Amino acid sequence: MTQQLNRQPAADQHGPSATEKTGNSSVMEPGSGPFSYRDLARLDEALTMSAKETGLRFTLYVGELGSDTRATAEDLHARSGGDTTNSVLVALSPGQRVLEIVTGTAAARRLPDRACALAVLSMTSRLGAGDLVGAIINGLRQLSDAAGHPARRNAH
Amino acid sequence: MSVLETVLIYGVVPLVIVLLFAAVTLFPGRSKDRTKYRPGQSWDYAPLWYEPHPDVPGVVGGHAEDAPGAGHAAPRLGATASALAIGQRPHVPEADTVRRTAAGGARGTW
Repeated sequence: MTQQLNRQPAADQHGPSATEKTGNSSVMEPGSGPFSYRDLARLDEALTMSAKETGLRFTLYVGELGSDTRATAEDLHARSGGDTTNSVLVALSPGQRVLEIVTGTAAARRLPDRACALAVLSMTSRLGAGDLVGAIINGLRQLSDAAGHPARRNAH
Repeated sequence: MSVLETVLIYGVVPLVIVLLFAAVTLFPGRSKDRTKYRPGQSWDYAPLWYEPHPDVPGVVGGHAEDAPGAGHAAPRLGATASALAIGQRPHVPEADTVRRTAAGGARGTW
């Protein structure tokens, strides 16, 4: 199951399946969260498959983004862990009705702003209808389609 | 056809069909599995942040990448990183605050 990153890591906030590196696995406590088991499974598959297909590291943030949503999203992107140049953050704040996509320097070459804007457009139309999970999954699919497969550097 | 048969066929049967469809559509258990969100309503949940499953081979940054011989699909250094590795130093000094990593993206509202 998709792992959940801690925004502010706290030592005593780990759940039953937590390791030292990750927070609690999302599947362990879906009752308190907004997503059901089925939605979480779909999100997990979408995230993992798009990361596997493109070689980019997609992370998904759902929550408040503060008053300056862009700055908050870029800050989250900087702290998303792993190779941030190669990572893409999809951040949405349903309360503020704002969606932000942030790409790292290497990811921006594969995913130009135009491709991101196109994904945002299709996502917002679904989000306007209240289809949160469908919007995320379709947005991720569109982003991974736009990014394509990673270039094979050792193919010679 | 007696009056009773007429009432049963033309009254009770359509009523049963209508009630059946009403029960199917208004069944409360159906909406339990869906994420409850309507545009404009407040979002009272704690922030969630998901990353791809780290154990699946091929996922960049995953644990499986650490295994020897498994990095064939994982691009390691981009052009920027290679250029910097030759001997240049990035102009931005390593500050205490988190370095800005964003290069692009898009935003939208609904």
